[in-house]
Amino acid sequence: MDLFRSVLGGVGGGSGVAPGAPGGPPSSADTIERLVDRLSSSTLLEDRRDACRALKAMSRKFRVEVGVQALSALVEILAHGDGQSYDEEMLSYALDTLCNICSPDEFEEEVGRAAEREPAEGVGEQFTEIYLKQAVNVQYALDALGEFDFRIRRPAVRLLTHLLFNKPRQMQDLILASHMGVSRLMDVLVDNREVLRNDALLLLIQLTKGNANLQKIVAFENCFDKLIDILNMEGLSDGGIVVEDCLRLMLNLLRNNASNQTFFREGSFIQRITPFFDLTLEPEEIEVGWSAQKVSNMLHMLLVVRTLVSPANPSHVTTSCQRTVHQCGLLEKLCSILMAAGIPSDILTEAINAIAESIRGCAANQDFFALVQAPATPPRPALILLLMSMVNEKQPFALRCAVLYCFQCYVHKNSNRQNEIMRTLLPANQPANNEITAGQLLCGGLFSNDRLSNWFSSVALAHGLVDQESIKLELLRVQLSTAKGTEPVSMISQCCYILQQSSQIQTRLGILMLVSTWIHNCIPAVTTLLAIPEVVPFLTGQIGSNEHDDLERLGQGLCAFVLGLCILDNDNSVANNTQDDLYQLIEKRIGGEVFLDKLGEISKHESYNRALKHPQPKCVDSKDLLFDHHFCLQFKHLEHSIISFLHRKKENDPLVETTENNAALVQQFKELIREQDQRINDLTKANIYLQSELTTAKHQVDDLITSLATLKDQNSVLRAQSSHTKAAIPTSEVINTSTSRNGPSTGSQNANFAEEKRKLEHEVKIRDDIIQELEMRLMTVENDHSTSGDPKPLTNGHGSEVEAEMALLKTQLESLRVNLSQKEEDIHDLKSQRAPPPSIPIASKELEAMKLDVETLKAEQDDLLVLLADQDTQLVAYRAQLRALGQVVDEDD
Amino acid sequence: MSYAYLFKYIIIGDTGVGKSCLLLQFTDKRFQPVHDLTIGVEFGARMINIEGKQIKLQIWDTAGQEAFRSITRSYYRGAAGALLVYDITRRDTFNHLTTWLEDARQHSNSNMVIMLIGNKSDLESRRDVKREEGEAFAREHGLIFMETSAKTAANVEEAFINTAREIYDKIQEGVFDINNEANGIKIGPQHSPANPNMPSGNQGGSSSGGCC
Repeated sequence: MDLFRSVLGGVGGGSGVAPGAPGGPPSSADTIERLVDRLSSSTLLEDRRDACRALKAMSRKFRVEVGVQALSALVEILAHGDGQSYDEEMLSYALDTLCNICSPDEFEEEVGRAAEREPAEGVGEQFTEIYLKQAVNVQYALDALGEFDFRIRRPAVRLLTHLLFNKPRQMQDLILASHMGVSRLMDVLVDNREVLRNDALLLLIQLTKGNANLQKIVAFENCFDKLIDILNMEGLSDGGIVVEDCLRLMLNLLRNNASNQTFFREGSFIQRITPFFDLTLEPEEIEVGWSAQKVSNMLHMLLVVRTLVSPANPSHVTTSCQRTVHQCGLLEKLCSILMAAGIPSDILTEAINAIAESIRGCAANQDFFALVQAPATPPRPALILLLMSMVNEKQPFALRCAVLYCFQCYVHKNSNRQNEIMRTLLPANQPANNEITAGQLLCGGLFSNDRLSNWFSSVALAHGLVDQESIKLELLRVQLSTAKGTEPVSMISQCCYILQQSSQIQTRLGILMLVSTWIHNCIPAVTTLLAIPEVVPFLTGQIGSNEHDDLERLGQGLCAFVLGLCILDNDNSVANNTQDDLYQLIEKRIGGEVFLDKLGEISKHESYNRALKHPQPKCVDSKDLLFDHHFCLQFKHLEHSIISFLHRKKENDPLVETTENNAALVQQFKELIREQDQRINDLTKANIYLQSELTTAKHQVDDLITSLATLKDQNSVLRAQSSHTKAAIPTSEVINTSTSRNGPSTGSQNANFAEEKRKLEHEVKIRDDIIQELEMRLMTVENDHSTSGDPKPLTNGHGSEVEAEMALLKTQLESLRVNLSQKEEDIHDLKSQRAPPPSIPIASKELEAMKLDVETLKAEQDDLLVLLADQDTQLVAYRAQLRALGQVVDEDD
Repeated sequence: MSYAYLFKYIIIGDTGVGKSCLLLQFTDKRFQPVHDLTIGVEFGARMINIEGKQIKLQIWDTAGQEAFRSITRSYYRGAAGALLVYDITRRDTFNHLTTWLEDARQHSNSNMVIMLIGNKSDLESRRDVKREEGEAFAREHGLIFMETSAKTAANVEEAFINTAREIYDKIQEGVFDINNEANGIKIGPQHSPANPNMPSGNQGGSSSGGCC
């Protein structure tokens, strides 16, 4: 115990640790190890509490060591883990220690040690990472907020703030997911102990940074209400930094969060912040100036208003907020700030910006502002007063920018306001009582010697001309008397004169922007411009110039743009400066590539892209003020038109004389060419197809020829074979039967007939022979009869016998003759039957068919023979095999 | 814009049941058939009149998707009323009511008035949940019940107003602690003397006399 006390005596004596005390750097790790051991293993609450206190004391100087060794033991205390008794004091120490470990700041005590070890940078972040590995650790810290005890709540809030600062994204997600997380934090915001409330503000600022969901939940938890209460309690702009913190949190909740903006308006909070702008200034404030804190508070209040009516918001949100800002009298209050005495210029600038955005594109508010009078004698419109500041080079740059912005917003989408302003330039509208007008101020600014006045006035005038074609025309007639005794010159030629004379790039950029807005969509303005003899040579010279200064190139780019616009809106009424002349100028003198290159300079420039983003002209340095937002929008749109026009022109260069009229013609030709192209394409395709077809056809023909030759050969072979086959037919039984079976029936009939005929003839012949023999015998008998004497008696007995025999023979003969004739008839019949013999072509066809049959049969026979031969050989082979296998094989098997 | 009371509502229920459409119909009196998925929470507001008193309704329309559930839970505690919505053409949205109700009861204050709404009543032909089932569920859990159509606006006004009336009655009975803003109820501001020349807003000027 003594040893422990000695250690504690060295390090636990309070926040100021003597460097030379025992337990200094070499043994600090051991000390901490012992303390952690005591903290986690001791059973005595007193011991643990002491250990915890000692760790807290060491955690600033020996942050890394304490963090590495004690973190889990400390978390254990927060978790009220392992059944250990709960002790508020110890919990407080533990939270304090964790606060120190995770702090994003470097402690003084640490600094000395940084030289010994690696720098302590990012230590807090690393420990935060370790702490957040367990999501539940965040819940412990949030639970600790539930304690009302100051010693616990305070370090808990600070710990959460450190964690949020080091790992914002992760912490936001964890708090979002934790039950009642945001509610716990909001509870601290209404803690009546100011320190806690202020800490809670800082915590909520961290929490709501860039997280729309948390912003909405915090707003849902009545945060706006609470903030406005605090603001009122703290004395509004006269209050301390807490007021600024409240406003910063309010800005966090509103910025880019349309839902909260609507909630703010619907919850009548715009009405409730209106009193913020009631300024009753002490005399000394007017003389000595405001405190820095008051300036900052007021700036943040104005920023809150601007956030609600920002052009970056969804338009319906901005419009409704603008309406409310006007209706609840906030706009009026802002205007009175403008006119009050003793307002610091920063505030004035921001107030002008706030007014600008409150009236931008909202006719009712613009009209309201038109009527605001400055308390001068005689009273002047506030706008005039503002413009006077704009063209006054003694005024701060930011203020002059704000006035320009206000002017732009004043005429934005409001042709009445545009007309009203621009008409003051016209001679007929000059007031009788020598009142100074906006037109005079702008003109004065345009032709003054101050480059910024030139730029501001040009841009302001350009905004007065946007989409107002009639004013563009009227302005062409404006004549200026520049010096005594000289002829009055037109405004546009004076602009061109300055363009040529001025060495200030900002002046030239401003005037070029004005001119390009002027001549866009206004053919008479183009004509007037081109009629000034110096203009085209000047533009040509600028575009073709080879200067490499960054800003000069921008000027050249703008000259190219103006020249491009002159081509686009050209009615060819100015001799030598017709559309085609100018085109030829670009192609021949300047070079198309050079022209496009110069034109491209603009969109490549950083300030162009910056200006394109937001309507407000804002630069830190007045030298950076180069482009106007609206001009950039216009340029973006028209640059493309110019380029595509030149391309079109180039494609049709030799054909076209003047384009605007011929555009349709060009289009026609293009279409024609397209069509022809299409056709050529089609034809080429068809050609290719046909060629391939041709080659295949040729191949086919070749094939056919060869096959024909083969067929012919075969044919002749077949013929030879067929004659051979005929001879072979009788020998082949198979063929014979086949032939008789398949053979033509007429052939066999004929053969049958012929056979029968032959038989009959043969029979007839035999009968004839018999008849002849019988006649012979008869003659012999009669001879015998005549030679014998007594033929009668003889014949009587014998004669009657012969006579009978004779009769018999005669009948026989008779019947034979009948028979014969019958047969002959038969033969005749047969012959007539045969009479129409088969005609020769049919026969030859039949012959062919028969040949074919024969051919087939022969082939079949061949096949059969081959098969037979095969089988034979197989048979032999099998026999041989069987014999080889030892089987007794009969030759007949 | 003076009012006697301000009530905070939340609208909860499965994704696609028509929560955002109900809000849009109530605040803007229009129907948008194609609506983007609600991300997190969107806000809407409208003034209504109950028994001659101007009551301002602030309504937070929550995302139905599960992914946003933890965000949605953050809104229960501070709400005086909740519209729990299901889709009568999709039974699963009705089946999930128990989960929603548990979630709401667990995270809200015990007096929060919950109105059960069967939305899309214009799609009778595709009905999947009987009206009686909705009524039975509401009776069982002590909720008010209505079938609405955000498309035809049928019962939409009534749903929001009846909920407000219920809250109003509870206030009259002294059930709600109206000084605790965590209950989602706020007493209207006294007519602010700071800006007496407020040119607009005072519709129904007599009603402001009713505040506390």
